[in-house]
Formats: sequence, C-alpha cells, structure tokens
Amino acid sequence: MNNALTVSGLTKTYKDFHLDQVSFTVPGGAIVGLIGENGAGKSTTINAALGLIRKESGQVSILEKEELDNDTKEQIGVVFDAGNYPEILSPRKIGHIMRKIYHTWDEKTYFRLLDQFALPPDKQIRHYSKGMKMKLAICTAFSHHSRLLILDEATSGLDPVVRDDILDMLLDFVQDEEHSILLSSHITSDLEKIADYIVFLHQGKVVFSKAKDELLEQYGILKCGAAQFDALEKSDLIAYRRMDYEWQVLVSDRDKMHRKYPKALIVPATIDEIMLLYVKGNT
Amino acid sequence: MKGVLLKDLYIAKNNILVTLVSLIVLGFGLSFLLETSALLVLAPVASTTAVFISITSDAISKWNKNVVTMPLSRKQIISEKFVFYLLLALVGLLTALIPCIVLMSVNGGIILHALYLYGVIGMSATLFAGGISLPCAYLFDPEKSQIVFMLSFMASTGIIVGLVLLLNLLIPVKDNIPLAFTIVLAFAALWFLAGYRIASASYQRQDIT
Repeated sequence: MNNALTVSGLTKTYKDFHLDQVSFTVPGGAIVGLIGENGAGKSTTINAALGLIRKESGQVSILEKEELDNDTKEQIGVVFDAGNYPEILSPRKIGHIMRKIYHTWDEKTYFRLLDQFALPPDKQIRHYSKGMKMKLAICTAFSHHSRLLILDEATSGLDPVVRDDILDMLLDFVQDEEHSILLSSHITSDLEKIADYIVFLHQGKVVFSKAKDELLEQYGILKCGAAQFDALEKSDLIAYRRMDYEWQVLVSDRDKMHRKYPKALIVPATIDEIMLLYVKGNT
Repeated sequence: MKGVLLKDLYIAKNNILVTLVSLIVLGFGLSFLLETSALLVLAPVASTTAVFISITSDAISKWNKNVVTMPLSRKQIISEKFVFYLLLALVGLLTALIPCIVLMSVNGGIILHALYLYGVIGMSATLFAGGISLPCAYLFDPEKSQIVFMLSFMASTGIIVGLVLLLNLLIPVKDNIPLAFTIVLAFAALWFLAGYRIASASYQRQDIT
C-alpha cells in the first residue's frame, strides 16, 4: 500500500481560526503522530479529512480514494476524545448496532477486546469512567478490520497502564504495511514510543512533518549564555528562547552544531521540548 | 440504516412502551367520557416523541460525529429519522385502534367512518408536525428539538384548520368530510416529504463538530 492518507493544501477558515494549506501523509504501515497545542488545528484537520466539516480547498485521499464513500469508511476506524456513544446503551447493544452497520464487523474480536479491557458488556455506558469509555471506542474501532485508524486525543484521560496497553495494540496493528494510524495527542511521550512520523501543527499551519527518529536523533537544544548566543549564526537557529539563566536554542543537527560550536552544551531534544520552543520561543 | 434504527429503538424503547401502554389504558379509560375513536387524533403524534428523545440523545452524546465516520451516507442518517418517525406514528395509530375496535364491538358495531376520519386527522397532524420539527432539529439546536416538536404540533393543527377553510371555498367540506380530510392528508404527506428534502439538503452541507 502507498499512502493510507494524503492531505494536501487543506484550508478551512472560522471566525477566529484559519487552517492554512495543511499537507502531510500517513504512509502505509506507519503511525503518524499529529501534535500541537490546544487550538492548533489538529481536530479541525481530522474533521476535514473525515468529511465532518467542509474544507474550503485542498485534497484528501484516504486509502487511495478521493471520495469518502461507504466502502472506504468501512475500512476506517475512528476514535474521538469523548467516545461519542449514547450513554444509555451498553457495549453489548453497541455490538448489535455495529453488526448492522459494518459488513466486516467481527463480534468475536469485539467481545474478546471487551474482556481484555475488563469492560462489562451489559453495564450502561453512563456508568463507565472516561477511561472505560475510551477503551470501548477503541474496541469498536478494532473490531471491523480497519486498514486505517484515526484517533483524536484517544489516549488522553487514560491512566499510564491502560495507555501502555493501547499503545501495544496500536503497534501490533501496524505490523504489516496494510494498516496505518493517524494519532493526534497531547501526550508526546506516547508518540515518542510508537510514532514513525511526527506532524507538528501550530496556529493552523504545519511547522514540520518529519520522521520521529530524525527529530530525536538529530535535533538538539543548545544551551548557552547571552554572549555565546550573540555569537551564534542566526541561520543555525530554528527557534530560541531566553530562560532565567540561559538561552535555549533549537538546532536541527546537533552533531554539526557540536563541531561548529565545540564549547556549547548541546543536549538531545524531546518532542515536548521541540514543540515548546516552536510555540513559546522566537523563530 | 438498520443499525441506526436499532440504536434509536434501544434509546427510546422505554418511552415507546410507556406511550403505547398509556394509549391503550387511555382508550379504555376515556371511553366513559369521550368517543374512543377520538384517541386516534392524538395517538400517532404522541408516539413520535421518541424520535426527539433520540435526536436529543444523539446531540448530547455527540453520536452525530461518530456516525458520520461510519459506512452510512448523510442521506441515510437523515432518512432513518424520518422512517423512525413514520414507523412510530403508524405503531401509535395501530395501538390506539385496539381499544377503539374492542369498545366499538362491545358497544354495538364499529363505525368505520369515525375511525377513518380521526385516523386521517391524526396522521395529518403528525405529518405536518414532523415536516416542521424534524428539519428544525437539524437546522437549529437539536437539544431543543422536543420543544420545537411541541410547538410544531400546535402549528400543525392551525395548518389543518387553514387548509379545511381553504378547501371549503372549493368544495362544501361538511358534505364531503372524508374527501376533504383525505386531501388534507395528501397535503400533509407532501409537506413531510418537503421537510425531508430540506433536512437532507441542510445536513449534507452541515459541519459536524
């Protein structure tokens, strides 16, 4: 499979927000993490890609189809941050409903997953905790043989143990090239564990779309004093921020910077730190 | 569409059962005071309240966002609500017929004319009300759909009176009651169809967040 999802030049304008020419891809067999602060446009991007909101311009291709017809939707599993199931229903009833909606619905897998996550099948969803509701939504998304999973903040609100279980499930899901995942999350440590690519959105624009390994292995934070900061070549800086006692400078190739500025302290950057420097620092 | 219909039946099951049992009890209970067949005027519209319970539940749980990502077109999602509405109206009508037929048989003969007339008035009011309230639920705030439904039922009685007065200009209604109310029912069916078209077109263009 080529790209499971291709978003190209996606634009959407609200009164106080503009999604500006967003482009990225989710390659087959890959997990792509969509990161950004609240209001950066992650959910808007996902909603536009799924046809929930009308885009002003741009193209979206899902599983190599430009039109999101029922056959394509059959192969997409979507999990939103709130679960979004009527609370009066029980997981068993949800299963009955889904069996009539998805031709590929797999009852055995569904009940196995409910059991695995210790979700009582006959308990009304309103008596579930937020974590249980999210687990139910994930069980549903996994039970109709999806080829593409789209999860919008699906791991937020879950305890670390459950998050870890879900991350393992997501990793299992992409073991062959037929399955792919787009996962938007605030919890960048989750993405550091499982994502192959990171797409960073800031104020409605894609700041970067890069392989996670490139970010973690090549990006770095150069820490220096004011005099040393002034001596830096500005073209070497991606973003910088003045802290209480030092300057923090984001650089894209820490080995190269080590060679160029041997006296500077350069440490590896986490995705969180990269995001913070872009958002709070100067570029 | 079967899946979402099943979902609505699960959500409104208790409401539907209470309404249907109430209709039967009312039918027998009111027989001492009123002509039982008059129940047919209220039965269809009373039974359709479950649709608005499901619309409100969909809005509160954000099910609308979920269902649009499932292998269903927006047209199918809207069609289901209209089909659900019609099904409930028919079930309500048939349920109300039970005490009518039982009591009419006991009291000496079934008056088909009365059953037909009240049934047609009831269905007309239901179709007019649905043709207003269902599109409004999707054009405006779905969480207030139950209030809109009550208002639309009042409006539907006004529309029926207006139509009858208009028809009276063309044919003497008093002498042609079944014909006049059959024409009203035909108008109501067209009105309901127009409501479906409006709701469907509006939902196609709507941003669902």
